[in-house]
Amino acid sequence: MATDEPGADWRTELDQVQARWQAAVAAGADVAALRTLEVDALGKKGEITALVRRTGALPPDDRRAFGAAVGALRGVVEGWLAERADDLQAAVLQAELDDSTFDVGRPAAAGRVGHVHPLSQVQAEVEDVFRSMGFHVLDYPEVDSDFSNFESLNIPSWHPAREMQDTFWLDDGNLLRTHTSAGQVRAMHAFEAPFRAVFPGKVFRYEATDASHEHTFHQIEGLMIDRVVSVGHLLDSMRTLLRAILRDAAVEVRLRPGYFPFVEPGFELDIRCRVCGGGGCSVCKQRGWLELLPCGLVHPNVLRAGGLDPDHWQGWAFGLGLSRLVMMRFGVPDVRLLLAGDVRFLAQF
Amino acid sequence: MNLSWRWLGEFVDLGGVDAIAFAERFTCAVAEIDGVHCIGPGLEAVTVADVVAVAAHPNADKLRLATLDVGGGRSVTVVCGAPVLRVGMRVPFVAPGVRLPSGLEVKDGDVRGVRSPGMLASERDLGLGDDHGGLLELDGCAVPAGTPFCEATGADDVLFEIDNKSITHRPDLWGTYGMAREVAALLDRPLRPLDLAVGLGSGDPVRLQVGSDSHCLRYLCARLDGVRVGPAPVRLRLLLRRLGVRPISNIVDATNLVMLETGNPLHAFDARFVRGGAIEVRRARPGEALVTLDGSTRALEPTDCVIADAEGPVALAGIMGGADSEIRPDTTAVILEAAAFDANAIRKTALRLGLRTESSARFEKALDPGFADVAARRFLQRALAVAPGARVTSGLADAGPLAGRGQAPIVLHTQASVLRERLGVTPAELTDAWMDAAYGRLGFGVERSPVAARSADLCEDPARDGLAVTVPPWRATRDVTRPEDLIEELGRVYGYGNVRSEAPRVAARPPHVPPLKRLERDLRLALVHGSGLTEVLLYAFEDEAARQRLGLDDGPGCTRLGVRNPIASELRHLRRNLAPNLLAAVERNLVAGDGRQASRRGWQVALFELGRAFVPVPAAAADPAEPGADERPSLDFGVPAVAQGERGPGERAQYLDQLEPEMRAGTETAAARRRPLPWQPVRLAIAVGERLGGGADGSKFAVPPREVSERLWAELTHALAVVARAAHVPPFVLDRALPAGALPLPVAPPDPDATWLHPSRRAWICSGDGQHVVGLATLVHPAVRAALSVPAEVAVAEIDLAALLASPPRPTLGRAPHAWPGSALDVTLHVSPALDSGAVLAAVQSVPLAGADAGGLVVDVQWVATFDAPGGTARAVTVQLQCRAHGRTVTAADLDAVLDRLEHGGEPLRRMGARWDRPAPTPGFGARTPPA
Repeated sequence: MATDEPGADWRTELDQVQARWQAAVAAGADVAALRTLEVDALGKKGEITALVRRTGALPPDDRRAFGAAVGALRGVVEGWLAERADDLQAAVLQAELDDSTFDVGRPAAAGRVGHVHPLSQVQAEVEDVFRSMGFHVLDYPEVDSDFSNFESLNIPSWHPAREMQDTFWLDDGNLLRTHTSAGQVRAMHAFEAPFRAVFPGKVFRYEATDASHEHTFHQIEGLMIDRVVSVGHLLDSMRTLLRAILRDAAVEVRLRPGYFPFVEPGFELDIRCRVCGGGGCSVCKQRGWLELLPCGLVHPNVLRAGGLDPDHWQGWAFGLGLSRLVMMRFGVPDVRLLLAGDVRFLAQF
Repeated sequence: MNLSWRWLGEFVDLGGVDAIAFAERFTCAVAEIDGVHCIGPGLEAVTVADVVAVAAHPNADKLRLATLDVGGGRSVTVVCGAPVLRVGMRVPFVAPGVRLPSGLEVKDGDVRGVRSPGMLASERDLGLGDDHGGLLELDGCAVPAGTPFCEATGADDVLFEIDNKSITHRPDLWGTYGMAREVAALLDRPLRPLDLAVGLGSGDPVRLQVGSDSHCLRYLCARLDGVRVGPAPVRLRLLLRRLGVRPISNIVDATNLVMLETGNPLHAFDARFVRGGAIEVRRARPGEALVTLDGSTRALEPTDCVIADAEGPVALAGIMGGADSEIRPDTTAVILEAAAFDANAIRKTALRLGLRTESSARFEKALDPGFADVAARRFLQRALAVAPGARVTSGLADAGPLAGRGQAPIVLHTQASVLRERLGVTPAELTDAWMDAAYGRLGFGVERSPVAARSADLCEDPARDGLAVTVPPWRATRDVTRPEDLIEELGRVYGYGNVRSEAPRVAARPPHVPPLKRLERDLRLALVHGSGLTEVLLYAFEDEAARQRLGLDDGPGCTRLGVRNPIASELRHLRRNLAPNLLAAVERNLVAGDGRQASRRGWQVALFELGRAFVPVPAAAADPAEPGADERPSLDFGVPAVAQGERGPGERAQYLDQLEPEMRAGTETAAARRRPLPWQPVRLAIAVGERLGGGADGSKFAVPPREVSERLWAELTHALAVVARAAHVPPFVLDRALPAGALPLPVAPPDPDATWLHPSRRAWICSGDGQHVVGLATLVHPAVRAALSVPAEVAVAEIDLAALLASPPRPTLGRAPHAWPGSALDVTLHVSPALDSGAVLAAVQSVPLAGADAGGLVVDVQWVATFDAPGGTARAVTVQLQCRAHGRTVTAADLDAVLDRLEHGGEPLRRMGARWDRPAPTPGFGARTPPA
């Protein structure tokens, strides 16, 4: 091995190795390629690692210089690798930052979504309105007695209203309540007057079903008992209720006489048709008003049945058809959809 | 019922009142008007014409040419096809170029080659009725030819279509005169009295006898002779048409017209067929029958009231006459009946026979028997007018308990201040004088007296606050019988629209909401949003057809409550559990839904329902005297016993003490006396179904791959975990066997012997401490699966919410998270595949891993994974022991201590034959430095 000066040969070789690795690192396309380069250069069997093992074969004078040069080479290559890795990472980051192909509009991942039944939604909303005004929110049995459903409500056995009610009678002599009013006297016995309460739930009528009639539907009853309860109070309470549940501060209401044995005076409450504004349309059957709920001042016989002296206690009561409210709110064309348990219908809510 | 504005105008001056505007006021004060119909527009060009000549049509056999005197000396010849056409007729003539209300357009054109400038009209052509058989004959119109048709016949009118349901409580409003009284009161104009003058003969029309128990309150009759039956005058016929009654003959039309006027139904017999010259009003005798006017034979019961002659019934009292004695074309002598009957008796007979008539509908409202006399006299007047030559040949016989009287007026006592209080008006708004006048207009008498006012603010004059109100007889039968009934009379005339809306002043108290209701709401939201389940609400009735097809039996001894009058024979039972109906709903959705719509996860349907089940009370528990009756599940409606208000229960007790015994019976004792109600537990049912893609051999009802069953079970248990979380209870324990010492439910939801439960793939749902059973979870029985209309697997659970509420709550503490690094040890236990993962986990959890000698470690054990060997030969359950120490990092020595305890204290593990390899105790979940 001929040399002009000591160590010239390995210096040249190291220079060449360095140049080669410089080019190789610069050409490293990605992090994985760099990792391979790192192993090939600096790993246990890497080229530069192998150089170190040649130290012993060199003349003693060169050994120190060679060692230092290889060490420097190693440091330089390491530096290049790190620098290149940083550059690559920065480029990847920049590419991500600049990327306009990310599909942000892709439909949501397939996951099961549940739905609250529209009756439950509307019922909760109505309950909340009343609870916020200090009304108890109660729950009463669906199978109830003749006493609760009729007798206590001033509907004695001879009364024609019993036939009008189209009752389902049960084998045990009880009945499926025909109205949530069946809870009125229960509430009067459960709470010391004055109190106010609403009680929603299922009611049942023995009648043929069609798009607007169901044998099972939902109502909510409201009852307020106090020392002085007037038609003016009733009107105000109904207006407040309807403003909240129809979300319409300008809702127009009117009371007209209506006969129900358990209220006196009794009313049908109408709202100005919100479709035509009162001009008359098919929704209100050209009347300009929609019949919404029956209400009235609690009949003295009902107060008596509830253990309250009508000379000292008065009340108002109303019964609101929740099923009908749901149909109005969501434009449901057929009441039978509500209890059909059809997910294709329910998934809309 | 239609109300004629024109007819109202005969009783009250309607000058200057716009009928259409008035209709709204009437609706708000009296009765609901369903529609307002104007008659007359379109008829302006119709005139009265006389047929002066009739000739044959040259080109048609069925057509003829009518030459008409159309007034003003003009004559017109038109083509007419009506067979009734004859010389001397008066008919409506429609000039060409007119469009009639019926939509018919009249042209000046050729009819089969003959020019016809106009036409002669039938009722139907004019839109006045449905009779199109011939021409509308205008007999009895004493007007010159050419007179406008409406002027001659009074056909132009405004009709109010009254909703009959809104006057069921008002016996006085079933006739025009009663309505006119309301109109007069609203307009504050006088009501003209009815002319009742009629020339009577003498003597009795028949031998009249009214049985005291006959249900007849009053019976009047009279005899007319010299009657010639024929059509009633056109004016009257057209009025009947407008009111929806078909004209028949002058006499029958007169009875109908007087009924529509007074509200009191009448009946006319042909005197020839009232046999023996006697009428007896009595109960029907056993076995008696009657052929009614409609031709049906009616079997009578002794509860029915009949009108009988010497030989038997001739009319079903108050409902319908007999066919034998009806008025015929050759009738010359008529017996008129005007009566009043007991409202309930009429209603019951009409209901039993399914025969509701205009007459029964009125009598069942409890008419004032005073109407009968008025109606009889009005009829006799009318009959004489419409049947020329007729005369009243008898006196007006009057019999029955209320003969000569009618309903007695009643006097109600109230106070002006009380009325104002109930309405919510002040004396300035509603004065005493106005009050008295309003009552007076409705026929109520008012006398004032000094009574201490309810409130000085509501009293105008303390010397006149007391009111004695005399209720007129036509309101006193049923309608206005209590002082409270007087509020409406005042309010509706005053106008409810004039009442000030006033917020009630109430005590500020937090409302009571039963825990069960809160729980329902929490569960609903959690299951929908946390578990992706869809809420359904289903019927309380069970569909027997679906139950039988699917084999959904509740189990032996699980009776259901029957419906006596089911809407359909398949719906004759109430559900005892929610699950069967929910299963049927899952099936319907799997069939109907296309899967992707039903859920995004392939072909799954995941539903839940919150609702009541109905469990009949066993006979033993039904008797409160029976021991053990108190042990039945309480009907917890979440309502506290009478809440102790500021006034306490004293007032209630005092009040009840004062009541008469029968009144008290109407309150609390009656409540106690009633039949026990069935148990109506509120339940939650959850069902997850997945549609299968058929077997490998293409068979429809494939056995589902085990992973499908496992997946659905996992879905179900996830939903149950959500339920436990939302209900604030510790996670449920699912166990195939009832845990030792667990309190079972009195009524299991569903019963473990229900046929549709899978015998081996099911578990009790128990509270976290294993002490309370709250429900049952199961896959459906393979037989049910096979019966489904689609190949599917379904997992179902049902939970009793009262049991859920009764189970101990999850303690909630706001501990700070551990600050020092902990360590996790995964331990895999090899067990028999017959052992549930839950049991293995419970066994590990039962080992006291965190004792004081373990260095005060906190150890939490969680399930990580279960691996089943293919073919179900082995099972490996991996659990993770999470260890943390207070104030320091967990060390390898700590972990060794925990593993030692597992090894030495794991007696339950050894008992279940679990093998496990001790893992190397490597501290750390990953390097993390605690905050300085």
